[in-house]
Amino acid sequence: MRSVDRRWRWSNLYLTAVFVILYAPIAYLIVYSFNSGGTMQGFEGFTLEWYGEVLQDTRLLIIVLNTVVIALLSALVSTILGTIGALAIYEVKRRSRKNALLALNNVLIVSPDVIIGASFLILFTIIGIQLGFVSVLLSHIAFSVPIVVLMVLPKLQEMRTSMLDAARDLGANAWQVLTRVVVPYMKPGIFAGFFMALTYSLDDFAVTFFVTGNGFSTLSVEIYSRARQGISLSINALSTLLFLFTVALVIGYYFINRRNARLAESGERR
Amino acid sequence: MADDVIIRFDRVTKRYEDGVTVLDEVSFDIERGKFYTLLGPSGCGKTTILRLIAGFMEPTEGNIYINGKLVNRVPANKRQVNTVFQDYALFPHLNVYENVAFGLRIKKLDRLSIDTKVKEALRFVNLEGYENRDIAGMSGGQRQRVAIARAIVNEPEVLLLDEPLSALDLKLRTEMQYELRELQRRLGITFVFVTHDQEEALAMSDEIFVLNKGRIQQSGTPTDIYDEPINRFVADFIGESNIIPGRMIRDYLVEFAGKPFECVDGGFREGEPVEIVIRPEDLEITEPESGKLRIRVESQLFRGVHYEIKGRDESGNTWLVHSTRKAEVDEHIGLTFGPEAIHVMRFGETEEEFDRRLETYGEGSHG
Repeated sequence: MRSVDRRWRWSNLYLTAVFVILYAPIAYLIVYSFNSGGTMQGFEGFTLEWYGEVLQDTRLLIIVLNTVVIALLSALVSTILGTIGALAIYEVKRRSRKNALLALNNVLIVSPDVIIGASFLILFTIIGIQLGFVSVLLSHIAFSVPIVVLMVLPKLQEMRTSMLDAARDLGANAWQVLTRVVVPYMKPGIFAGFFMALTYSLDDFAVTFFVTGNGFSTLSVEIYSRARQGISLSINALSTLLFLFTVALVIGYYFINRRNARLAESGERR
Repeated sequence: MADDVIIRFDRVTKRYEDGVTVLDEVSFDIERGKFYTLLGPSGCGKTTILRLIAGFMEPTEGNIYINGKLVNRVPANKRQVNTVFQDYALFPHLNVYENVAFGLRIKKLDRLSIDTKVKEALRFVNLEGYENRDIAGMSGGQRQRVAIARAIVNEPEVLLLDEPLSALDLKLRTEMQYELRELQRRLGITFVFVTHDQEEALAMSDEIFVLNKGRIQQSGTPTDIYDEPINRFVADFIGESNIIPGRMIRDYLVEFAGKPFECVDGGFREGEPVEIVIRPEDLEITEPESGKLRIRVESQLFRGVHYEIKGRDESGNTWLVHSTRKAEVDEHIGLTFGPEAIHVMRFGETEEEFDRRLETYGEGSHG
């Protein structure tokens, strides 16, 4: 009994330590975003000055807008493309070919962003696409599609084929089977894919860094370049806002999940 | 083609790409308004027949007619046939109402007729008030009913049922057997029911097709098939039976277990080797001296309704007896049975040959 107790305490301690180490830099950054001293050495007094600066910085607000537009657009387009891709892979009957396609898909997910970014830069330069909004959007779509495929495909594979037979049996043609049965069935996978694509696009730095240009910038690239230029605590303020935004997203996601689980559960009980 | 034939298979063969033949020149007629059962072990081709009727696959050779029209190339969504699937295949993203309404919405019926028809179908399967339920929250029996409602709401001429009871527990299964039979009578449409469960087939059908290895072994009413199986496979698959090698001394007299017995079968050559079938419930236990056969009891199991006794006669044949009388292991008991309890099977006889032979010796129709 005692040994179980002790082990439990050790594991707790370990977890606490890990989380402290992971969150300490973020906490440090947040605390100094309120520092009236203007540097990250020595906390002099509380101020919201940096937040005011961030909110008055129209260039920054435009960049935030850019980032969101790129994220939404690329997530939307890649969700459509990825879903079609997943359907296509699902339709492949030969096992070896299916696995080959999946492997090609997965390689794109695990390959380093730097390589993807550099190769896109070369591609865009060769075919003469001007670096900027379009090039960033295209590359974000490109690296999001495999993620969507990966999120949607399992949902398709767990689908019973008898359901498709049933739809046809009830008079549905191929298009109706797709729109009334397959797509509604895949919906959770499609949503998951969309949100994954959204987050990947929002926090992408490496690929964007390569393919952006002509004054077009996204938040991660902007924060990076500002941090390079010199220390301004407005960066801290901006990062803090971003951090709070993601925390809000996570909490929101948690509650949606819990609600769905509760709905499903109450459905089971009836 | 007779008017009451709704489905005709004409020498239909189905071969897969890897060369496996699942159906081998199968021909049969299915008549309007009857309850048919395709019965056989797994892999016998019964589900293949169902899928061919539904239109999920095309025959490799031969022709399929529905209502006199060739339908070999007609896709599933264009056939007046609906299916109840083994796993029910309900749409989990739709509620009960929308599942049932699916076919009607595809047909673009107006809102009001959809509503009347769906409610009526749900009433038919005793699911009134379940319209807004989620599929995930329903029991196996309820899902089964939704699947049936979803199929019959389209008013098909033929309802195909692919082992729909196999996922239910025993008690519910027996209940559903009554309900399905009753449903078929009320709707008056043709049911084609696929199962590997012989009791189910015997209990529900007007007509049974016994299948094995891609061929129909025997077709007929449940009593025909039970009482007069044409070969060892059918005798063995339908119910339990004692299958004993024998020899026809002449018509109506058969020899087995070293003794001659009167029987009711004819049309054989004299001295022809045969197999005889006696159902275990047709054997009656008597005193050893007064029995037609004497066996030594080797094992006994209590089955609730009866005792299942296994024993061996003097010639070494094993006998299975169902009796309400108890026996003792190692005890000698006598067995008695009437001439009509014996059914004689000719080796390698086809169904047509069997029917022709029946006519020659004037027992009349089957049974």
